[in-house]
Amino acid sequence: MSATRPISIVIAAMGGEGGGVLTDWLVQAATAEGLAVQSTSVPGVAQRTGATTYYIEIYPVPVAQLGGARPVLALAPSVGDVNLVVATELMEAARTVTRGLSDRERTQLIASTHRVYAIAEKAAMGDGRADSATLLRVIEAGTKTRLLFDMEQAAKTAGCVVNAVLLGAIAGSGILPIAPETFEAGIRASAKAVESNLRGFATGLAAARGTVPVHLQPAHKRPQPDTAPTLALIARAYAELPEPARESAAEGVKRLTRYQDLRYATLYLERLAPIASAERDAGGSGALTRVVARHLAVRMSFEDVIRVAQLKTDPARFARIRAEIGAAPGQPVVVRDFLKPGIDELCSLLPPLLARPILALARRRGWTETAYWGREVASSGILGFAGLRLMARLKGWRRHGHRFNEEQKGIEHWLASVTRAIALSPLLALEVAECARLIKGYGETWRRGEANYRRIDAALVTPALAGQWPAAFALDAIASARAAALADPEGQGLDRTLAEIAHKLPSP
Amino acid sequence: MAERSFKHEIDLLRLGEGDTFRGEGILAVTKALLQSGVSYVGGYQGAPVSHLMDVLVDAEDLLAELGIHIEACTNEAAAAAMLGASIAYPIRGAVTWKSVVGTNVASDALSNLTSPGVIGGAMIIIGEDYGDGASVIQERSHAFAMKSSIWLLDPRPHLPSIVRMVEKGFELSEASHSPVMLDLRIKACHVTGEFATSDNRKAAISRLAPMGTPAPFDYAKLSHPPSTFAHEIAKVEERMPAARAFIAQHHLNELFPGDLAQIGIVVQGGLYNSLLRALMRLDLADALGNARIPIFCLNVTYPLVPEELTAFCATKRAVLMVEEGTPDYIEQALGQILRKADLQTGLFGKGCLPQAGEYTSDVLVEGLAAFLEQVRPAGLDADAARRFADTLSRQRRDAAALLDETLPGRQPGFCTGCPERPVFAALKLAQREVGPTHISADIGCHSFATLPPFNMGNSILGFGMSLASSAAVSSNLGKRPVSIMGDGGFWHNGVITGVAGTLFNRGDGVLVILQNGYTSATGQQFMPSSVAEGRRAENPVSIEATLKVLGVKWLKTVRSYSVGTMKKALTEAMTSAEKGLKVIIADGECQLARQRRVKSEDAATLKAGRRLVRVRYGVDDEVCSGDHSCIRLSGCPSLTIKPNPDPLRDDPVAAVIQSCVGCGLCGEVAHAAVLCPSFWRAEIIQNPNRFDRWLDGWRRKAIGWLQAEVAS
Repeated sequence: MSATRPISIVIAAMGGEGGGVLTDWLVQAATAEGLAVQSTSVPGVAQRTGATTYYIEIYPVPVAQLGGARPVLALAPSVGDVNLVVATELMEAARTVTRGLSDRERTQLIASTHRVYAIAEKAAMGDGRADSATLLRVIEAGTKTRLLFDMEQAAKTAGCVVNAVLLGAIAGSGILPIAPETFEAGIRASAKAVESNLRGFATGLAAARGTVPVHLQPAHKRPQPDTAPTLALIARAYAELPEPARESAAEGVKRLTRYQDLRYATLYLERLAPIASAERDAGGSGALTRVVARHLAVRMSFEDVIRVAQLKTDPARFARIRAEIGAAPGQPVVVRDFLKPGIDELCSLLPPLLARPILALARRRGWTETAYWGREVASSGILGFAGLRLMARLKGWRRHGHRFNEEQKGIEHWLASVTRAIALSPLLALEVAECARLIKGYGETWRRGEANYRRIDAALVTPALAGQWPAAFALDAIASARAAALADPEGQGLDRTLAEIAHKLPSP
Repeated sequence: MAERSFKHEIDLLRLGEGDTFRGEGILAVTKALLQSGVSYVGGYQGAPVSHLMDVLVDAEDLLAELGIHIEACTNEAAAAAMLGASIAYPIRGAVTWKSVVGTNVASDALSNLTSPGVIGGAMIIIGEDYGDGASVIQERSHAFAMKSSIWLLDPRPHLPSIVRMVEKGFELSEASHSPVMLDLRIKACHVTGEFATSDNRKAAISRLAPMGTPAPFDYAKLSHPPSTFAHEIAKVEERMPAARAFIAQHHLNELFPGDLAQIGIVVQGGLYNSLLRALMRLDLADALGNARIPIFCLNVTYPLVPEELTAFCATKRAVLMVEEGTPDYIEQALGQILRKADLQTGLFGKGCLPQAGEYTSDVLVEGLAAFLEQVRPAGLDADAARRFADTLSRQRRDAAALLDETLPGRQPGFCTGCPERPVFAALKLAQREVGPTHISADIGCHSFATLPPFNMGNSILGFGMSLASSAAVSSNLGKRPVSIMGDGGFWHNGVITGVAGTLFNRGDGVLVILQNGYTSATGQQFMPSSVAEGRRAENPVSIEATLKVLGVKWLKTVRSYSVGTMKKALTEAMTSAEKGLKVIIADGECQLARQRRVKSEDAATLKAGRRLVRVRYGVDDEVCSGDHSCIRLSGCPSLTIKPNPDPLRDDPVAAVIQSCVGCGLCGEVAHAAVLCPSFWRAEIIQNPNRFDRWLDGWRRKAIGWLQAEVAS
């Protein structure tokens, strides 16, 4: 019996990423070298999403030297038996490892570190993304060697699809008894996007040989620019607040100055100061003040039509859109926005005395869900832009509106809860503060978040602050309820969690 | 096929004597059909055999040269009935479909075909959609072979073996006057390899050389009593013995020797490679097919040839039957053969191996270890096999334990810009108004609505069966159910079983027909109502006109992407006081097919320097609050998330990526669901004319002034 074993390769890809082409390149290269090769795939249906796995086996002894014998190659990978795992994306790489296909003594892995989010990660109401560090740890623990870098970026730079970069990396890894030139010849022979594929191939090849392209992710955070009038307030924030909170507070000052005015930004600092001093008295490090500084700035800059108009007419916005869609300089671009203000939005700008009865009537009749003024605004057109500009200039009026009034009351209530919680436990205060995260968005999203916040406030925060529960219990209850509120939009998770907490309540 | 070229594949079909074919299993089968001199081919598309039909439908010139008639059948029953041509005429024909579902649909015609039997070779190529990657019910096609006396070929997944079994299969069919089925599992259809080709053969009788005179009347060829009684006897007394003799004479089954002669393995041909791999991992075989345990490989799994099996087993203490799927028909038959031959060879099979599920090499390692442990043949360390099997399970457990929780799944979903997605978004929104509804799902791309983010559908009863399957729901639920059906399912049988049936029985329900112009899930094949400008659909049959003729009174055709209008139509259909069937045709061309067409058209427009507007959607990342309602109502692959640019917020925000085709659903959903004002639509004017430039210049100037005024 011959002791030579086939080399086995798993390619974990997603539909439309060129996994099939990569497989073909490998098969053709092996054939060109006179090796027996076999590939299979489970492409399933014609759609372009979903995981697709390709499997290749190459027998490392040329057919000509087998004396008429032919290897019997497998059609699917086996546990611990794979020599090379190739993945077009990080989570699929980790998935292959957790399926047990790779082996710590045998398996080499080549994968791109970029993420393509799965639908469950995208659809989460908060942040449902799998942690890349965890994925990398899994890959590290389950493989012998690894070549990991952002191949999507490398492919973008080369102007090709990620598969050409992967092919280069495979060629350079030396795992296959196939010369890199054979792969290059295959790319040329395919006569499709030859130049860009060769560029991608070269990047992959160099990476496998030690020259991994360094791609510095540009910082994704976009702080507000400093403006002269805010400098004094920022200085004040630095003087009054503990170190961990300063950066967020400075950002808050700039945001609220732009959102409303300096007076409003001053109010922001005035609201933060007591929290900071209460935390200091309780021996806290400033972590709580930092969290409050962030949420307070977001809550005070609640989203209303004026805010939206302001953001939509920001000069930087059109530049961002042009860059995103790849418009050439001077190329005409028409931008349209989808706006659909309803009764809530209208009333938010009316004085409370007028707004309250209208809203009450609208809620009774169910109009808030059905009466909207839907329109597409050509915001790059003269009239559309001027209309939005006019709306943005109404910000002075905002202070007299119903929504402003209500929001300030809500904010004061939340701050009072946080302050009271500090006295009981700074950790509890942190949980209470974090509840502000639930209130976000527009229309129905906002109504749902606001309602969830109120439920948690009434059912948990109020009794907890009354000192009825042990701090640890209260802390855990609030944290779980907050997570449950973000679990499903129908609120079933929150119902269940609140019922469970009520069930577990310490007897009075 | 929509705008897709199979030129490379068609070139492979033209290879002749002395050439080498390199390609996929299913294409090798197609080539083998041409080498066998078929006069007609047909079938109904479905993974994993769609490719066979796709390539042939596109290979018109080649088929014309060979005089082969091709039929893109409207369902598998039609394809099976087509084989009726071989009952009275000595002509070879082949049809194909996905099994077990297609065989179910075809079974009436199959029974009527196999009763009189055939004089021309008749072959059914079935894509056995079983195991990893399968999309249908896990049942065996083997049962159909047994009950209807169809010989079942299950070749080793090795191109020369597959090709040989196609060629020999026709001879077997003619020698025994019975149709044969060639069973190919999913991975065997997609396996690549090579074989030495021979020339394509023109049939003696074909459209190039028609017979002219019909067969004389022969009552014995009709599946009607009393002929049927004679047929039943002929099946067992003539056809089965003839088949067995042919199988033995031509060595269709293969014997692979081994030094551990006191034991043996009997395996279905399709599992041979997996078995060899398992043996190799247990150090009982090498990669070149030399095994220590003798193997009897059944390339024909029905009928078995008792003499072959008794000869193999007679000298053995024990044999292991490796047979995938349930029930274990072959193992039962083998047991009976051994018993009747009064052989004391121990029979192992299910028990060592699991009753159900795919037999991967890992499963087979465990099964072999269990077999060897019990039999303990001389000259082999059975405990070593056990130890290796245990190592594997430990390795799998350890790997799974690397993560505390399972990773989010990556299920298939609607493509970017798919016209079916907005319909389900509208249905989700409509249910918010009228409450939860019973949804009768169907087969097709639209069955992805049963997956996240839509999670809709109470039942799936087969292709085109949604409306029929809700017939008894309406009255028992007291609420009008909604049935979803694709245009593919409508023509496959939904028009009769669903629409005509409901009208005839005065049923009350809502039917949504997703009219995208192709049977898309199987690769955008044309069907009766396809309107694409192609060869096949010059006179498309209108679904709307058909429904009117049938007598549907409440009928609305709504553009798929108009979420608001669709939601209104659905709400009205669900709540209207009027009784009776209500049909909504959701009209929107399959985006995958459309993009193929539009891309080349756009490239030509641009090249000619003509004006072209490209549309892209996007999200204002400062306006988005990171709730992702839009994603829950859409699930578009181009609508994803990215880190929040706001220094004060962490939840990722929505983002539209490059692959957006500008279908407009995000905007429609944002509007219909009153989500948020984050979405924008950008029209990029390529090759702008003078007016575009003049207008753009003015707009920029004016906006510049207004912005300067802001800055001041």
